[in-house]
Amino acid sequence: MDTGEGPLHQESATLKESEIAARTRDYLRENFLYMRPDWKLGDDDPLLGTGVLDSIGVVELVAFLQAEFACEVEEEDLTERNLGTVTAIARFVHGKCHGNGNGASRRPPPVI
Amino acid sequence: MCGLAGIARRHPRGVSAETLEHMAAAIRHRGPDGFGTRADDRVGLAHVRLSVIDVAHGAQPMTNEDGQVLVVFNGEIFNYQALRGELEAHGHLFCTHSDTEVLVHGYEQWGEDVLDRLNGQFAFAIYDRRAASLFLARDRFGIVPLYYAERGGDLYFASEVKALLASNEVERALDPAGLDEVFTFWAARPPRTPFAGVRALEPGCCARWRDGRLALRRYYALDYPAAAEEPPAAIDALDELLRSSVSGRMRADVPVGGYLSGGLDSSIVCSLAAAQSPYQLRTFSVGFDDPRFDESGFQQAVAAAVGSRHAVQRIAPGDIARVFPDVVRHAETPLVRTAPAPLYLLSQLSREQDIKVVLTGEGSDELFLGYDLFKDTLIRSSCLRRPDLPWLPRLLDRLYPELAPAAGKGEFWRRSFVNAGAADDPLFSHLPRFHVTARIKDFYAPEFRATLKDGDPLGRLRDELPAGFGRWSVLARAAYLEMVTLLSPYLLSSQGDRMAMAHGVEARVPYLDHRLFQFAAALPARSKLRGLREKDILRRWAVRALPAALTRRPKQPYRAPDVAPFFEGQPPAYVEALLQPASLRQTGIFDPTAVAALVKRCRAGLVTRVWESQTLVAIVSTELWHREFLSAPTGTRLQAHDWASGAAPVGSPVAS
Repeated sequence: MDTGEGPLHQESATLKESEIAARTRDYLRENFLYMRPDWKLGDDDPLLGTGVLDSIGVVELVAFLQAEFACEVEEEDLTERNLGTVTAIARFVHGKCHGNGNGASRRPPPVI
Repeated sequence: MCGLAGIARRHPRGVSAETLEHMAAAIRHRGPDGFGTRADDRVGLAHVRLSVIDVAHGAQPMTNEDGQVLVVFNGEIFNYQALRGELEAHGHLFCTHSDTEVLVHGYEQWGEDVLDRLNGQFAFAIYDRRAASLFLARDRFGIVPLYYAERGGDLYFASEVKALLASNEVERALDPAGLDEVFTFWAARPPRTPFAGVRALEPGCCARWRDGRLALRRYYALDYPAAAEEPPAAIDALDELLRSSVSGRMRADVPVGGYLSGGLDSSIVCSLAAAQSPYQLRTFSVGFDDPRFDESGFQQAVAAAVGSRHAVQRIAPGDIARVFPDVVRHAETPLVRTAPAPLYLLSQLSREQDIKVVLTGEGSDELFLGYDLFKDTLIRSSCLRRPDLPWLPRLLDRLYPELAPAAGKGEFWRRSFVNAGAADDPLFSHLPRFHVTARIKDFYAPEFRATLKDGDPLGRLRDELPAGFGRWSVLARAAYLEMVTLLSPYLLSSQGDRMAMAHGVEARVPYLDHRLFQFAAALPARSKLRGLREKDILRRWAVRALPAALTRRPKQPYRAPDVAPFFEGQPPAYVEALLQPASLRQTGIFDPTAVAALVKRCRAGLVTRVWESQTLVAIVSTELWHREFLSAPTGTRLQAHDWASGAAPVGSPVAS
């Protein structure tokens, strides 16, 4: 039975930036760099223009962030400043949904 | 179309009839109607014939009046009747009504300059006994193939690589840099091929072999002298050129049919062909069981509009994987798409229905800026030039509505396009495609990656751009790159000539009449791409001839399923066998662990990204290609053992 109380929702409001960065890094490695374990993906390396993400990859990444961190993202949030590196993503997601005074969305993430 | 092959010796030690027959047998599919050979102590020529013009008398090799000029010819000269008149006025005597003989006498009369007078699609070799030299040439756009290899001053040449290998004198080896180009551009860029030591004669080039040395020369160069304004009578000029081009390509002593994709380009060609045909035009289409790829509705509408007798080759889920080994054998290269496979089956259908010449719509998208790539280039370059206009990047949302639902788009998504290349990079237009394709290389085995010492394909391409490239507009540069990286080596070859000739079908390409190319290249860009409306002038012309539903229909790229054929239902056993780690290790090109991870995602139905589907096709086709051409012991795969038992050739080998 789906209670709507999955582990993500339970812990989402308490995630630190470092945890968000780690999960994002793992996601990128497992989904976009699985064939290149030798690829050194630094947290400040740009995700665009380096072979990590293309346009479809961007869409997949946004879907991941919304689902994984129960974080509702508006179109105006989808900027290179917020999503251009792992560090930027962690800072943005933490600030938007997991920082002081901000709770993660309690609603299911929008379908995109 | 036909097939040709031959050997020229630096020292006069002859060419055996057996060797020539083996070479001819390897390309017998190109010319099932007859074959012939000629050899002396220096040069041997072989020809397999598809009889299209002067069926009774066009046998080759053909000579001039005194036997000093011999030719083997693959293709068609569409203005041969006019040239024949000129040559007769110069006193040349003709024994046949074939276009081949025009080539013989034209060479006698004008020498190498005969090339400037030819309107056609061709590759040929002329043995000039008087000068003890051999002259090779290929048409302006690379519609017809021609390969060669040199060894110790001897020259080997043929329509397909398999004929070179069948000589048993050309080494079977891979060129890692050639393979690396396939995984950048979709095909190796001529003169490079995936075979070490085997070169493709570049489109618009010719070569003279004498005393063991080969000298190459370009006789036709693509140019884009775009005018500032569209000439007032441009539509009338286009009308005349289209009609003339199709009319010339309807000339044959056998019925001519047409391929219908359902799009604008082939609809125009078939409409003009139907109007000029003395009999009811036969048209052929590919239809997919999968509705995402199917265009049957539009194809039927065009067939009804032009009044053709239409036949459809349905492509069921299992068909692509079933024929894919044959497709790779005929293409002679690894592939990154399965799209040639349905065309392989289409030519089979056409041949079964006794149509061995078809007109196609290839070339129009390159001439009239039909592909989304051109719109993408225009938008991205505008975004970089005018960052102060925030609405510009939003045009990408309109261009790629299928890539993401509205909620997924934003500045970051648009940046993924805009950041794809620097505006001052000469390859700006194509960098997104090249980069996506090059992700295949992430799956290379480390040992194979270490063999790539010959620079990178993009660097080589930048170094070899023509002198005028920098002066062309951004769209003209994009059109040029599309012609030389995709049209010629992939669309006209892997997806064109090879798939048609696999079943002895000649594909004629009216849009690649050089007069039409020159007309289109001289138009201002907005005559072709008006805002985001592609092929504008062609659409303006087409309202005269076609139903409005077809002239207004947006371009739909031709695609075939890439991953599903190899994993859904009951795929052929070879798929599983080729993807085994031991098998991959033996070939040594792809990393078994990386491939296993991709295959796992394929089996789980997780592969929706283009770079992953392209990688899967690249791996399967490379493994097939390697086994077909490089793993076989010399002389065991392409022998002429079935020559005698097959269709009886019209001609007979002649040794002199």
